[in-house]
Amino acid sequence: MENVLIQTIGLTKRYGTVPVVKSLNLEVRGGEIFGFLGPNGSGKTTTIKMLTGLLEPSEGEVFICGYDIRKQPMEAKAMTAYVPDQPRLYGKLSAREFLHLVAALYRVPKDIIQGRAEQLLDMFGLQDRADELLEGYSHGMRQKVVLASALIHQPRVILLDEPTVGLDPASARQLKDLLQEMARQGVAVFLSTHILEIAERMCHRVGILKEGVLIAEGSTEELRQKVGHGGESLEDIFLELTGSQENAELIESLGE
Amino acid sequence: MEREKILPPPLTKPPRGGTFVQDFKLLLKNQMRVAWNKFRYRPAGPLVGMLIILLFLGAIIVSIGSFAYDALKLMSPDIAQGALSFLFMICLAGQVFFGITAAFAALYMSDDLELLFVAPISLKVVFAVKSLSVFGSSLVAAVMFIFVPGIFLGLVFEAGAAFYFLVLLVGFGLSLIGMAVAELINLLVMRIVPPHRSREAVGFIGALGGILIALVFQIPNILISGEDELNIGGWLAGQDQALRIMDFFPWGWGSNALADGITGNFLSGLGWCLLIILMGAALFMISFALLERGFRRGFISLSQGAGGRRKKTTRSVVQRARRPQEKFSFSNNDGFSATASPLSGMWAVAKKDLLYLKRDTREWFGYLVPLIIMAFFVGQYFMFPAGSTRASLITVLFMYTVMFSGNMALQSFGREGESEWLLNSVPLGGWPVVWGKLLAAVLPTLLLMEALLVGTALAVGMSSSLTLVLALAAVLLSLGSSAVGLFYSINNSRYNPDSPQQRISPGASILMYLVNLFFIFLLSIGLVYLFPPAELVAVLQVFRPVTFERGLISTITYVLFILSRPLLWQASLRIMLGLIVTFGVWSVFFFGFLAGTVRQSRKGFRVEIVSGKKKSRGKKLSGIDG
Repeated sequence: MENVLIQTIGLTKRYGTVPVVKSLNLEVRGGEIFGFLGPNGSGKTTTIKMLTGLLEPSEGEVFICGYDIRKQPMEAKAMTAYVPDQPRLYGKLSAREFLHLVAALYRVPKDIIQGRAEQLLDMFGLQDRADELLEGYSHGMRQKVVLASALIHQPRVILLDEPTVGLDPASARQLKDLLQEMARQGVAVFLSTHILEIAERMCHRVGILKEGVLIAEGSTEELRQKVGHGGESLEDIFLELTGSQENAELIESLGE
Repeated sequence: MEREKILPPPLTKPPRGGTFVQDFKLLLKNQMRVAWNKFRYRPAGPLVGMLIILLFLGAIIVSIGSFAYDALKLMSPDIAQGALSFLFMICLAGQVFFGITAAFAALYMSDDLELLFVAPISLKVVFAVKSLSVFGSSLVAAVMFIFVPGIFLGLVFEAGAAFYFLVLLVGFGLSLIGMAVAELINLLVMRIVPPHRSREAVGFIGALGGILIALVFQIPNILISGEDELNIGGWLAGQDQALRIMDFFPWGWGSNALADGITGNFLSGLGWCLLIILMGAALFMISFALLERGFRRGFISLSQGAGGRRKKTTRSVVQRARRPQEKFSFSNNDGFSATASPLSGMWAVAKKDLLYLKRDTREWFGYLVPLIIMAFFVGQYFMFPAGSTRASLITVLFMYTVMFSGNMALQSFGREGESEWLLNSVPLGGWPVVWGKLLAAVLPTLLLMEALLVGTALAVGMSSSLTLVLALAAVLLSLGSSAVGLFYSINNSRYNPDSPQQRISPGASILMYLVNLFFIFLLSIGLVYLFPPAELVAVLQVFRPVTFERGLISTITYVLFILSRPLLWQASLRIMLGLIVTFGVWSVFFFGFLAGTVRQSRKGFRVEIVSGKKKSRGKKLSGIDG
C-alpha cells in the first residue's frame, strides 16, 4: 500500500442498468506512469472522470493520495491535476490570465503565481502569444495551455485523458519528457490512450480495459508475451489498439 | 536539463481550503474579467448593434414610464395598487421563463464547468456565481415592470425617499424569486427530461416564454380595441376579486409594500419586502440543497450526450472486422441491378427532413408560433367583432400563410448543417433533392395552414364556395412562397453549432420576405380579376379615364388605371384573364425559383459555418452531377 497514490476498489459505473465500468481494482504508485489502454467506448473516460470526482461511482471507492474522493473531495482535488481530452478553456481569457486563475483556484500563494506562470509559458513556448485570447488558439496550443495549467499547482497525481490527440510530434515528445520528469519527482501519472504504441513508449505499466473490465495489467512487454497464451480476448484487443499509419509519425517521435 | 530546474516538486499535503467568500470573490472576479474581455475584443459592428438595442430598450422604458405616469395619475391608490400587482405578476412570469434558458446556459452549458468541478472549490460557490448571471438576466424585466412603474408611482403620489428604497427591495426580492423558481424548474427539467432532449426542452420553454411576453404586450391593444380607448383603471376597478387573490402571492405583497410606502407606512412596507426576500431566499436555499444532484449530474449528463442510452455491444470491432466475408459477402450472381427511380431518392430526402422535424421539439416550435398568433387574432375577432375584422382576419391569415411557408422552406438547406456533404455527394443533385426538400417543407406547412384557413373560415361563418377558394389559394400560396424560400435557403444557408435553429443569413431572410410580398401583390391582381370586389367596381365605374404623363406618380396612377380596366370587362373575358394572370404569376414564381434552386443544387450548395465571431464558408462545390 505504501506510496500508492491512485487506488480504486471495486469501482463500478452504470448508466441506468447498463454497466460501463465493472468492478475496477487499480493501484498506481508515485513515480509510475500508468497507461490506461482500451478501444474507444471501453470506459476509459468514465473511469478518469470518476477519479477526478466529476462522476459519482455507482459502486466502489476511489482514493487519491489516501483521500477518499467522495468523503474528502477538496483534499483529493487539491493534490490532482486533470487534463481532459477536449481542452475546453475560457475563450475570452488570455493564456496568462488562465494560468493565474487556475493557480488561484488551487491556492498557489500569490507571490509564487507570477513567476511560475511565466516559467510554464516559457517552457511550453507560449510566451509570445500569452496575452492573446484563447479562442484564437489552435487545438495543440490549447492542449499546451491545459498542460501548463495542470502543472502550476505542483500536483502529486496527474490524470490525462488521451493527451496526444491533436499534438504534433514535437509536442508529443515534449509531453513524454515532461511526464517522465514528473514521475522521477514522485508524481503518479495516469494516462489514457487507445493506441498501444503510445502507451508502450510513454508508460512503465499499462492496464487494458475492454467493455469496462480490466482484462490485463503489466508492462507492455509482459502483455505481449501473454498474447497467444492469454486467450483470444487479449489478441483481439492488441489488434484493436495497434496504431494506424496516421499515428506513425507521432509514435516515432516518442522514441523508445 | 532545464526542465528539472523549472518543475516544482509535487505537493506533500494539500493546501488549506479557502472560505466561501474567498472562492466566491475569486470566481466573480474571473467572470468579470471574462465579461470585460468580451467587451474589449468585440468588433465595432456588434457594439453598434448593442448600442442600438440599448437605445431601443431605453425608448421602450421611457414610453412605458410615460404611459405608467399618465395611467397612474388617473387612478386612485387602491386601483394603482391593483395595477402594480398585475405588472409584478407579469414581471415574475417573464423572469421565470427567461430565467429558465439563462439558467440552463449558465448551469449546464458553460465551458468552464469541468474545470471548476475538478478544482478544490465548493460546488456551492460555483452555483452561487453562476446564479448571478441568471439574476442578471431578470434585471431587464425588473426595470421595465418594477422599477419604472414604482418610480413613477412615487412621483405621482409625491412619495419620500424611503419609498424608493422599498421599490429597490421589491425589485430585488421578486428577481430573487424569479431566479430561484427558474433554477428549480431547470433542475426539474434535468431530472425528468432525458439528457439528450434537455436542450430541446429548455429551448421550447424559453420560446414559450417569448410568446407569453409577446401576448402580454398585446393586452393594451385588446383593451383599446374593446373600449375605443385605453382605460386600465376602469378595467381593474371591475376585477376586485382577482386583485384580492393577488394579496396571497409575492406580486401582491410587492404592491402592498409600495402602497404602504406611499401612505407613509414605511415599516409595514418594509415588512412586505422582507416577506418577499425571505421567500426568495427560501426558494434559493431549496435549489441550493437540491443542486448536488441536479447541477453536477445535469452537466455531466449533457456533456455525455445520450448518457444512459448506451447500447450493450456484444461483439468487438475487431471481431466484426475479422469476419468480413461472413457479414459482407457480395453475390456476383444477381447481375447488374436496375437503377432506382429518382422518386425514391426524392422521398428519401423528404423523409429525412420530416423525421428531423418530428424528432426535434425545437422544430415544432416553428409551427407553434403561427398557431398561437392566429389563435390570438381569431380570439380577438370573437371578443370584439367589428365589420372590418373579418376582412382583416382573412388578410392576416393569407399573409401568415405566405410568410410562414416561405420561412419554413428557408430553413431547409441550413438544416443539413455539417452534414451538407451528404446531399452534395449523392447522385441526386437537382430535381430529386429540390422536390424532396419542397415536399418536406410544404407537407406539414400546408396541412397546418389548410386546417387554419378552412377552420377559421368555418368558424367566422364564410360561405362554402369562399372556403373552397381559400383552401385552393392556400395551396398555391404555400407552394409558391415555399419555392421562393427554398431558393434563398440554398444560396444563403448557414449553420451555427451553438445555435442550430438559426439557419439563414438575416439579409436573405428579409429579401425573401420582400420577394414574397411582391408575389402576393402580383397574385392579388389575378385574384381580384377572378373575384372583383363590388365596392371597387362601383368606384371604377365613376372614375375618369387617366392619360399617361411623365413622372413617377403619374406613371403609377396610369399603370393602376390600366390594371383596373379588366374589372369592367365582360365576366367571361375578365375571368379568363384572371386565370391567366393568377396561374401565370404563380407558375413564373413557383417554377422560376424552383429552377434556380435546382441549378444551384446541381452545382452543389454550401452551408456557411458560423461559430462565435468566426465564420467559415463551406466549400463551394461545383460540377457535382452535372
